[in-house]
Amino acid sequence: MKSLEVYISGFFILFGAIIFQLALSMKYYGEYGPGPGLLPLWISGMMVVLAAVNLVAALKKNNQSFADILPKGTGLINVLSCIGAYALFIVTVPYLGFTISSIAMLFILFSRGYTWRRGLCLSLLVTGILFFIFGFVLTVPLPVNEFGW
Amino acid sequence: MESFGYLLHGFETACSGWNLLYSLIGVSFGMFVGVLPGLGPTAGTALLLPLTFGMQPVSAVIMLSGIYYGAMYGGTITSVLINVPGESASLITCLDGYPMARQGRAGTALGVAAIGSFIGGMIALAILILVGPLVASQALKFGPPEYFALVVVGLSLLIGLMGKSLVRGLIAALFGLTLAFVGMDPLTGSIRFAFGQETLEDGIEFVSLAMGLFGLSEIFMTAEENLNTQAAEIPKIQNMMPRREEWGPSLKAILRGSGIGVLLGLVPGTNSVIPTILSYSIEKKIADDPSRFGKGAIEGVAGPETANNAYAGAALIPLFTLGIPSSPSIAVLLGAFIMHGLTPGPTLMQRNPEFVWGVIASMFIGNAILLVMNLPMANMWAQLTRVPFKIMLPNIMIIMILGAYSINNSLFDVGMMLVFGILGYFMKKAQFPLGPVLLTFVLGKILESSLMKSLTIFNGNFLGFFQRPISATLLIIAITIIAVSIYFGSKDKGIEGDSEI
Repeated sequence: MKSLEVYISGFFILFGAIIFQLALSMKYYGEYGPGPGLLPLWISGMMVVLAAVNLVAALKKNNQSFADILPKGTGLINVLSCIGAYALFIVTVPYLGFTISSIAMLFILFSRGYTWRRGLCLSLLVTGILFFIFGFVLTVPLPVNEFGW
Repeated sequence: MESFGYLLHGFETACSGWNLLYSLIGVSFGMFVGVLPGLGPTAGTALLLPLTFGMQPVSAVIMLSGIYYGAMYGGTITSVLINVPGESASLITCLDGYPMARQGRAGTALGVAAIGSFIGGMIALAILILVGPLVASQALKFGPPEYFALVVVGLSLLIGLMGKSLVRGLIAALFGLTLAFVGMDPLTGSIRFAFGQETLEDGIEFVSLAMGLFGLSEIFMTAEENLNTQAAEIPKIQNMMPRREEWGPSLKAILRGSGIGVLLGLVPGTNSVIPTILSYSIEKKIADDPSRFGKGAIEGVAGPETANNAYAGAALIPLFTLGIPSSPSIAVLLGAFIMHGLTPGPTLMQRNPEFVWGVIASMFIGNAILLVMNLPMANMWAQLTRVPFKIMLPNIMIIMILGAYSINNSLFDVGMMLVFGILGYFMKKAQFPLGPVLLTFVLGKILESSLMKSLTIFNGNFLGFFQRPISATLLIIAITIIAVSIYFGSKDKGIEGDSEI
C-alpha cells in the first residue's frame, strides 16, 4: 500500500492543477496592469512542481503505509464516529432542524464513552442549553424545522 | 511621553463597561485551553472568534488576545503536574518542571513560572508602547512596493515554521496562498475560483479554515486515544515561592528570558517554541552546574516560561504596526481585526488609537489577573486536567459547529470546516506543517494586492522593486534568508512539537 504522503502529494498536485487550469483562462495582464490570473498561475504552478517532487521522493522512500499511520480498533471507530456524526449533522440539519440533528450527533459522540441512557440525557441537556444560549441569548438564526426547533 | 497619555486613555477604555469582564473571560478561557492538552492558543482563539461577531471591535480583540496570552500561562500547569504540555510553548517546561513536581516542589515551579510570565509579559508590553508608535510612523512611508517586499520577508521567515521538510513546508505555504485567491481579485474585482458557489465569492471564510485545520484536526487526533482513559494523579501544590537562595538565579533567568522572547517576537515567521528552546539552551550553557538541568533546575522553568510570554507580547508589535502576523495565533487575531472592519497596519495607531491603546492597556490588566489566577488559584486550575475527554469532545465539537455557522449563518461554512478538519488531520499524519497554510492565507491577500498595485506603478517591470531603496533592501534580505536556509539544510532543524503551528 502506498504511503499517506503519496496520497497527500497527489491531492496537492490535483488541486494545484485545477487552479492552474482555471488561472490560464483568466487575464494574465490587462490594459491597466496585472490581471487576475497572474499570481494564481505562478503560485499554483509552483505548488504542482513541488508536490510532484515530494511525490517522487515519497515513492522512492520506504515510508509507513496508510494503514500504519491510521489508528486501529477503538481509536479508528472514535475518529470515524466524530467525522460521521459531524457529516450526519450537516446532512440532516436543513430538514430536521438544529435540535434533532444536534441530539443525534451528540448521542453518537457521547455513546463512545457513556451508556446509551446517559449519552441520550447528556445530548438532550447540552442541546437544550446551546439552543437557549445561541437561539435566544445571542439571537443566532439557527436552522429550525417546521415546529420552530 | 505621548504614548503614556494614550495609554492612560487606553486604561479608561479597558476598564469601561463590559471590557473588564471580556478581559476576564478571555484570560480564563485562555487558561482553560492552555490547561487542556491538545487545544492550544490558535485553536482556542479560533474557537471563540465567531462568538465575538456583533461585539464592539475593542471588546472582541480584548477577549481574543486574552485567550492568546492566557493560554501561554495555562500550558505550564499540565507540563509541571503531569508532564504533558498544554500547548507547544510549554514543552520545554516539562524538562525541569515535572522533576520539580516529583520532588514535591510543584508549587515552586508553578510560582516561578507565573512570576516569570508576568514580568516577561510586562516587559514586552513596555517595549510595545515605546517601539510601536516609532515603527508605525516609519511604516507610514511605505508604499505598495515596500509592503510587498515586507510581506516577502515575512514569508521567507516562514521557513522557521516548516517542520522537518522544507518541500512539504513550501507546499503547505503555497496551498494557503492558493486558498487566499478564492473570491474577488483585489485589483479588477473579478470573481475567481468560486466554482459557482455564491458563498465562495467573498473568499474562503477564515474561521472555517482556522477552526478546521487547527481545532477539528486536533480533536480527531485526540479521539484516536481511548476516550475512557483515567485522569492522571495530580501532585499537591504548596509553597509557591522559590527559596531565598533561588531568587537571584531565577530573576536573572527571567530577565534573560524576557530579552530573548522580545527579540524573537519582533521577527515575523517565528513561533513561541523557538524562544523557549533558546532560553533553555542559554540557561544550561551559562549555569555553574549544567548537570542539574533535566533534574529540577529552577532556571530551566523560569527562563523558558518568561521567554514564551515575552514573545507573546512582543509578537503584537509587527501586528499593530505593520499588519503582519508573526505566528498562527497572531494570524487568528489578524483575522479578528479584519472581521471587525479594522485595517491592521501603520495607520491603525493613527486612525484607531482608542482601539489600539485599549487593547494594550487590557493586556496589563489581563496579565495581573493571570498572576492572581496562577498563584493562589493554581490548585483550582489543576483540577481541570481531571475533566475526561469523553465529555469535552462532543461539547467542543458542537460549539465549533455553532461558531462556524454563526459568522454568516451558513451551513456551507460548517461543511468547509469539516473538509479542512479532515485535510488538517491527514496533513498532520503525513507531517505537513499547518502553520504556513494559515499564515500565507492571511498574508496572501496583502501580498497579491501590494504586488498588483506595485506592478501597475512600475508598468509591469518587476525590476522596479529594486529601484526603490527600502523594497530593494527588504527583497535582498528575503533572498538571503531563503538562500542561507536552503544552504544550511534547515529542513533537518525543524522544531518538534509544533502543535501550535
